[in-house]
Amino acid sequence: MAAPGMATKKRLMVLLVSFTVIVLFLIGRIAQIQFVQGYELQKKAFIQQNTGRVISPIRGTIYDRNGKKLAISVQAATISCNPNEIAKNKKLTKEKIAEDLAQFLSMDKDTVYGIITKNVSSAIIKRKVDRETEIQIRTWISENSVRGINIDEDAKRYYPGGNLMSHILGFTGDDNQGLMGGIEEVMDKYLKGVPGKILSEVDARGSAVPSEREKRIDAQDGLNVVLTVDETIQYLVSKSLDKAIADNKVMGGAVGIVMDPDTGDVLAMVSKPDYDLNRPFAYPGNIEIDIDPSEWKERSKETVEILSRTVWRNKAVSDTYEPGSTFKSITASAGIEEGVVTPDTITDDFPIKVTGWPRPINCWRVGRPHGTETFREAVYNSCNPAFVKVAQSLGIERFYSYVRAFGFMDKTGIELMGEARSQFQTKPKEIDMAVASFGQRFTITPLQLATAYCAIVNGGKLMKPRLVKELTDSGGNVVTRFEPEVVRTVISKQTSDIMRNILEGVVSDPKGTGNNAYVRGYRVGGKTGTSETTKEDVYIASFCGFAPADDPKVVVLVALFDPRGESHMGGVIAAPVVGKIIEDTLSYMQVERRYTDEDMKSMAAAVTVPEVRNKSVGEAVKALKAAGLKYDIEGEGNTESIVLQQTPKPNAVVPEDSVVILYTYRPEESKTVAMPDLSGKTISEAAYAMNRLGLNIKVSGNGTAYRQQYKPGTVIEKGTVVEVEFRNMDNVE
Amino acid sequence: MKKKPFDFILFITVLILLSLGLIMVFSASAPMAEKETGNIYYYIKRQLVFAAIGMVSMMLAANYDYHKIGRKTVWALFLVSVVLLILVLIPGIGSEANDSRRWVVIAGVRFQPSELAKLALILFFSYNLSRRKRPLDSFFRDLMPYLFALGIICVLLLLETHLSATIIMISIAMIILFVAGAKIRHFAILFVPVVVMIIAVISFTDYMTPRINSWIDPWSDPRGSGYQTIQSLYAIASGGLFGRGLGQSMQKFLYVPEPHNDYIFPIIAEELGFIGALLVMLLFLIFIWRGIKIAVHAPDVYGCLIASGITALIAVQSLFNVAVVTNSVPPTGVSLPFFSAGGTALVLFMTEAGILLNISRYSSYERI
Repeated sequence: MAAPGMATKKRLMVLLVSFTVIVLFLIGRIAQIQFVQGYELQKKAFIQQNTGRVISPIRGTIYDRNGKKLAISVQAATISCNPNEIAKNKKLTKEKIAEDLAQFLSMDKDTVYGIITKNVSSAIIKRKVDRETEIQIRTWISENSVRGINIDEDAKRYYPGGNLMSHILGFTGDDNQGLMGGIEEVMDKYLKGVPGKILSEVDARGSAVPSEREKRIDAQDGLNVVLTVDETIQYLVSKSLDKAIADNKVMGGAVGIVMDPDTGDVLAMVSKPDYDLNRPFAYPGNIEIDIDPSEWKERSKETVEILSRTVWRNKAVSDTYEPGSTFKSITASAGIEEGVVTPDTITDDFPIKVTGWPRPINCWRVGRPHGTETFREAVYNSCNPAFVKVAQSLGIERFYSYVRAFGFMDKTGIELMGEARSQFQTKPKEIDMAVASFGQRFTITPLQLATAYCAIVNGGKLMKPRLVKELTDSGGNVVTRFEPEVVRTVISKQTSDIMRNILEGVVSDPKGTGNNAYVRGYRVGGKTGTSETTKEDVYIASFCGFAPADDPKVVVLVALFDPRGESHMGGVIAAPVVGKIIEDTLSYMQVERRYTDEDMKSMAAAVTVPEVRNKSVGEAVKALKAAGLKYDIEGEGNTESIVLQQTPKPNAVVPEDSVVILYTYRPEESKTVAMPDLSGKTISEAAYAMNRLGLNIKVSGNGTAYRQQYKPGTVIEKGTVVEVEFRNMDNVE
Repeated sequence: MKKKPFDFILFITVLILLSLGLIMVFSASAPMAEKETGNIYYYIKRQLVFAAIGMVSMMLAANYDYHKIGRKTVWALFLVSVVLLILVLIPGIGSEANDSRRWVVIAGVRFQPSELAKLALILFFSYNLSRRKRPLDSFFRDLMPYLFALGIICVLLLLETHLSATIIMISIAMIILFVAGAKIRHFAILFVPVVVMIIAVISFTDYMTPRINSWIDPWSDPRGSGYQTIQSLYAIASGGLFGRGLGQSMQKFLYVPEPHNDYIFPIIAEELGFIGALLVMLLFLIFIWRGIKIAVHAPDVYGCLIASGITALIAVQSLFNVAVVTNSVPPTGVSLPFFSAGGTALVLFMTEAGILLNISRYSSYERI
């Protein structure tokens, strides 16, 4: 047989060339896909590989400093469908499926139908479906062998405290992402975790392949955030503010901040009005708006705008105000630190003329100034001219360097978004400094002031205020611990000591402007403030206090915006609120009361309880205050309500400062408690135990409790005054 | 005739293709195997067994003088193929997958007759054409018998709805006839009815419509007919120059359909990048080059035609596969020789490579 001829060889060469051309073409095609179209295709591939049905990770829990849960994720389900599979149902029609699902999920039937007939391989019908509904749907699926409905676990955020932490936490959106600049948003990257994924195989037609095996990548749960906030203190502050708002017809809301001066830990931060974190878009019942609740459209542009400028707003960090006289502590600290003034320096509050201003600056008590006085007294009396003089001695540069050092020119850097920037004159003149010395014509945030007070009383260190203590994993192990941060040292320890001493006098001196903040047994210090605003007759009453004065555990700032009650003076309406918060907080923190001799005397002093029944609450409170008694209202706290019953009864003789319980409803029986065993307790221990139960104590003698009027366990009415005899046991022996 | 050592370059090329193929089958099949059987080694184990059988078969073929493949053998092979292709269509014997009947089970072994039919056709054409005494002058008298034989097989394949095998079969037949000296004008005569038929199928039936549409724009129906193509392109594009790395394909995870089979090339491109894809293309080009060289230097027309046919088979099938996965032609299912998982195909491709090697032993050229 002959070998292939020339013609054959030629044809084979044609073949080789043709194949080579095709190979080169295909190589070019691959290069085109990889390098020319590469980026676009890779992006699409990435999106595809990272979608599918997502398993939401469980969002971390937010705890208060004692481990109480403030924000938790509860199990919820996401109901999704595969429309291609839905179409394959034999038992139920698409219409029937839509109808049933709509009923379970309280959705519109047509909406559901639209989703389950979409031309996609997977569509979400509803998120955050509760457990009960989920079980209903699961039963329905198995009973009717429904195909194409997927139920994936998801988590729903729940806030056990409702309104309590609204501004600290903020809430989460549909995708469980943190919103509102609160801890939920700021700590989102730690809380959110890493989502997992469920991939179901899809063939070329987009149907799930018959085998039910799914590829599952588990979600990685988020970390827990432990706050510095103490839920109980937050609650105490919130309750006190509510009462203050009602008592003083406060129109513009209120702020209350409690900080630990040594660490900068925020123990409580309340801004009023607040909102329920579980229903953030709901009609706000606590503010006056023009919209009728029936016309309130949740999540509409209009209602969200209203919510953002009212109840969603954290006035503690997002609003700035003129601090007024509370700022005098800063001026005083600067003056003492720089040696331009001492507590005993003689000064006066006669009108003082400042360049750049036509009228002289007066003391607030314009008609009858306090005259010549020591600087200490000037602080007690809150005399403006005395502070103008201190500022003038410091000079513009030094004065403002202290303002800056106390942190007023910078944001505090707290773990919240939306911190407002303070407003100062860019190039302050003499007159600017003069009025700034008593807190006017510049604005700061309440948090900046509280933080500066921490520095004044803690020995001079400006601490960075903080809300987050640590991050923990699901096993409760600490992953990251955040340490307190000293920003800078502003004043010396000596100056701090002197300031605490002076500010304690502001409260303890019977004539001091802050006397209303006095709490027996706890040495309270602080400074009042009454600020003007740009609107006429709109004031901000504030008080910034701390206690115990010798070793402060808390700094408390309360500001009431636009009070329309009988007074708008900080010393009259804000100081008692701070006093109450300090008393409640320190009792709760089990800080021991140490009564001064004055305290003991007043506790022993007898007062006759006036008749307040059938009076309005407003009148009753006035009468009790006049008699030197405290009160507590059971029932509606409205000043118009009528007091129907009181304990102790009229004409009972009780120690000064005893609490009279006012009932605005007719109780079927009075609130009762069991008498505790006080034997062996000191006066302060006994008083604390009794007050906690709502009982009053009439002290006689000294030392430890020796005899009590009622035997331990006796059921007695709340508010009852119990006589307790104390004896110094050493003397007996 | 004096026997020489076989073509070494071709031999090495086949071994590299086979090894690379095994590695890629393992990588690409693991997720699918895990999902279907719970055992990631399911496909690679089978493939290794067939590779071993293929190696033995190749060595046997390389040492079995192709001249001994005579009249009886080629007719027998051809008739057996036709019978098997008929059997495949009978329910109960042929097993169905993806709406096509392509397998028969003989003695417990699943067997794809179309793969055997390809070799049978090559040998049948080569033998008979090499025995001719006069050139292929008359269309009806000289070409018609071959077209008739091809027609029988094509009709049976079309009844399986195995379009890709039909196309490959026609291509091989045409190439063998071309090398054997068929007149160019006869191809032109054939060309006319084929074009008319293609146009008719496209215009009057729905069979090709989604394929053509998805070829022109896969994104017109990304969840439907465009799905495979899009997934394939995603995989190739994800590779870039150097690839994600061996075993790192994302697209093999339930996205690319049959990542171990028809769509293994995109996974190669994804894991080994442009470099890897280029290497595979060059390996096939080397195969084609050596195959044609063996044909050119074959000692006789029979050897020349067999070598041409086998080379044409490997070339058409591999280039067709790459053309499909790169969306260069409308999509149809065609496997990649030496790479795609599949026992019959691998064993037969290895055997065919063996025959090529055998022919090279009698060639007239000096080899390295």
